[in-house]
Amino acid sequence: MTVTIPIGGMHCAACSARVEKAIGKLRGVDSASVNIATEKATVAFDPAAIRLSAIKEAIVGVGFVPLDASKETAGADKIRREREIKALRTKFAVAAAFGLPLLYIAMSPMIPWFTLPLPKALNMMRYPLTCGLVQLLLTIPVIIAGYRFYTVGFKNLATRSPNMDSLIAVGTSAAVLYSVYNLFRVAVLRDFKAAESFYFETAGVIIALILLGKTLEAISKGRTGEAIKKLMGLTPKTAIIIDGGEEKEIPVDDVMPGDIVVVKPGAKIPVDGTVTEGRSAVDESMLTGESLPVDKKNGDAVYGATINVNGLIRFKAEKVGAETALARIIKLVEDAQGSKAPIAQTADIVSGYFVPVVCLIALVTAVAWFAAISAGVATPTAGKSALEFSLMVFISVLVIACPCALGLATPTAIMVGTGKGAENGILIKGGEALETAHKIQTIVFDKTGTITEGKPEVTDIIPAPGVDEGYLLMITASAEKGSEHPLGQAIVRGAQSRGLELRGIENFSAITGMGIEANTGGIAVLAGNRRLMDERGVSLSALEADSDRLMSEGKTPMYAAFDGKAAGIVAVADVLKKSSRNAIERLHKMGIEVAMLTGDNKKTADAIAKQAGIDRVLAEVLPGDKSAEVKKLQEGGRMVAMVGDGINDAPALAQADIGIAIGSGTDVAIESADIVLMRSDLIDVPTAINLSKRTINNIKQNLFWAFGYNVLGIPIAAGALHLFGGPLLNPVFAAAAMSLSSVSVLTNALRLKRFKG
Amino acid sequence: MNKSLSYVITVLSTVSMILTLSCGKLDVVGKDSARAFGELLQKAPGLVSEDTLGGGWSITAPDSGARFVWGAFGKMMIDIAPFAAAGLDTLKLADAGAFSGGTLVIGTALTLDAPPKTTPLASYEWIVKNNRDAIGYHAALNHYGISLGNGNMFEWAKDLNTNDKDIVFVLNPEPFINAGVDVTKIEGWAFAKVTVDDENGKPVQVDKILKPFDLK
Repeated sequence: MTVTIPIGGMHCAACSARVEKAIGKLRGVDSASVNIATEKATVAFDPAAIRLSAIKEAIVGVGFVPLDASKETAGADKIRREREIKALRTKFAVAAAFGLPLLYIAMSPMIPWFTLPLPKALNMMRYPLTCGLVQLLLTIPVIIAGYRFYTVGFKNLATRSPNMDSLIAVGTSAAVLYSVYNLFRVAVLRDFKAAESFYFETAGVIIALILLGKTLEAISKGRTGEAIKKLMGLTPKTAIIIDGGEEKEIPVDDVMPGDIVVVKPGAKIPVDGTVTEGRSAVDESMLTGESLPVDKKNGDAVYGATINVNGLIRFKAEKVGAETALARIIKLVEDAQGSKAPIAQTADIVSGYFVPVVCLIALVTAVAWFAAISAGVATPTAGKSALEFSLMVFISVLVIACPCALGLATPTAIMVGTGKGAENGILIKGGEALETAHKIQTIVFDKTGTITEGKPEVTDIIPAPGVDEGYLLMITASAEKGSEHPLGQAIVRGAQSRGLELRGIENFSAITGMGIEANTGGIAVLAGNRRLMDERGVSLSALEADSDRLMSEGKTPMYAAFDGKAAGIVAVADVLKKSSRNAIERLHKMGIEVAMLTGDNKKTADAIAKQAGIDRVLAEVLPGDKSAEVKKLQEGGRMVAMVGDGINDAPALAQADIGIAIGSGTDVAIESADIVLMRSDLIDVPTAINLSKRTINNIKQNLFWAFGYNVLGIPIAAGALHLFGGPLLNPVFAAAAMSLSSVSVLTNALRLKRFKG
Repeated sequence: MNKSLSYVITVLSTVSMILTLSCGKLDVVGKDSARAFGELLQKAPGLVSEDTLGGGWSITAPDSGARFVWGAFGKMMIDIAPFAAAGLDTLKLADAGAFSGGTLVIGTALTLDAPPKTTPLASYEWIVKNNRDAIGYHAALNHYGISLGNGNMFEWAKDLNTNDKDIVFVLNPEPFINAGVDVTKIEGWAFAKVTVDDENGKPVQVDKILKPFDLK
């Protein structure tokens, strides 16, 4: 069983790593994945071995709050996020309102280039106690605004699992406590030089800046999830049903399967169902991305959230609530956004060890500087004692090293990337699919219904000598009546369109990958491909020339044998989808090899491949062998994607490194795929791969900046520049840099919103 | 956050109340400067005398080259001879102070009302009470100082036992340089760059002419 648990109180990658570890080690839990961007845990567990409540207890046990998933609707989530942003804004406003005067009082006399006015009563060397107390007074509200850093940070420190809050709490507490000690020296010991060692503004400004960063982060995080919010907002609130012969408006949640729903022109279709009355054009662009409205008539399927453009229709509700296509899309996108890409694993591992290591680095460098300065080996910056210099190093390292950017680098890009995909009718099922898609070297397309329209038509009827053309088609079509194969159905349609009356059949059986056999009107009919005829010993010598010609034209010859003798050929051809050639061209430009997989004979397949511009043809493949063909390509060292739509494509979709299902295809194919294209347009295949490339590039940029920031920032904060005669990083600038890194990572992720395919 | 805001308001109110009630008690520099000044007066009673002319008290440098006077006016009375020897053109120094015989008198009004003349310390405490802004703490030398206007000061050690400069007469060199004095050649005075805090508490490095003494 897999559940998604929204979690409150997580602030950084160390928090999510901690929750993940706590859940993951529970007996009965198969896997746990915690996403800091969505603030949700996805847990697969055995209900017989562990209860959900025990998992929630484990979350509480490490200091976080499991929220009620049932209450986490789109609206509730939005309200929760808005509340969070509002609370952070208020906290930042308080911190800024007190932090800025604090910074002004403490730092304005330190600006070398110009003089800023300061009340005489706050002159440090004339009124040090007043000045110190005023600074303390201004610091207290800032600390209260950032109280969560202390409550959570110290609690985590006490349980030996420090997080970002711990770094801030320890760093700023050190600054405040040292300043209070110096205030004591001024007030009681009359040591007025100690006034030069007030660092209240360091603590105040660090907290204010981090609260600013957190506020911007929360706002940006909200924007990363806009795609899913848009989807959730599509469902209408009410529906009109026929109740007792009269129209009645009810909440959409009350619509039951079987209800007859009335949709007026311009109104949204509330749930999924089948049209029973009326005719209209329906705008399905919100689900498929297809801009042209689709005609709907009696018997056609309609989907919730689509718009009835012009006619009045009535339809029978079939799928409601979580069963609708829209609800399933939302679930799919949500799951994808909650999933982790393999590239995130490195960041997660690093984040898990990061905070304790940083605490150690801060302590070691501070002690080393103190010892070196005390021993006269190193010199502090002007006016600083060994203790003060070491303290500055300690605080700067702690503050600059918060791993927020590292934790946000991957999930935010995945959220925006998958969301952008959903907006374009490309449903990417997870971070792994997103990451793998950009590595694809070969794409295998199923032919029928994928490269072609999947609606083949009878093009040629070539009877064997002595057989009538109409008779051939009538008998063959009668036998094919029991077939679900598109080619068989095409023959039935071909006969019907010619006004032929079909006979009843007996003993029908489908021969997988080859054709059918049945009895009709006392005739034993065999219809299918050459392999079937060869297997049954039917001689096709009289039909060879025609057969070759048809195949070279890209037509599929369906051989018919009556009572064991060749009766003729019914040729069927499928037309290429308009976008197939364009899509394949784009894939070629991306350096991807394109292959076509089909049960058709080699010649027909080659002809179609030529029309479409396909590089490699895998013809005469039995449905059961499709996955084996994909495997063969993989064994050749290639990363393979499979694009298909049918039930018979499902194993190949699962076998491929990336399975891409066409949205109009079967549920099985969609379930087996990693990426679902809502429009049956192949142009979305290169678009999906392009989106994958852009997202992965974005993640790599984010990780580069996040890692690079820490790799550069920590040595600078530790005083590396000072070793070579350069300046020491002020902790205030460390806080500004730290906040900026998170915001820059989020801003970079949001650039993906501009993706246009 | 309402809870946090109420905390903020409570804390602000409490600390404001404490600050208001203990306003006088917060002036640790003013109070301790008086203590140190009292110790200075006790340490060098022979140098301290009543200033009959100006109605205050004075402390004379051990070499008699300068005298600091405190009362309603704060003054420094300087023997002009070493300055003359270093090139002083007295006509060009007219704006810097007044000449009285061989003495240059520079200074400023310290209080509107004359301080009580009961004791030298009481006079100083009167200044602390009525013109607190004139008193400062010089961290670099661990001195207290009283401003006599135009960058001139009299400073004394916060801790006479440990400081090797118990008192320092401090002059702004600019008027003297403009009056032709070679400030590096004034006998009994030193020309140096020192770090002081300006009116806004900003540490600035300035040139000064100094006459320091260790009273032992």
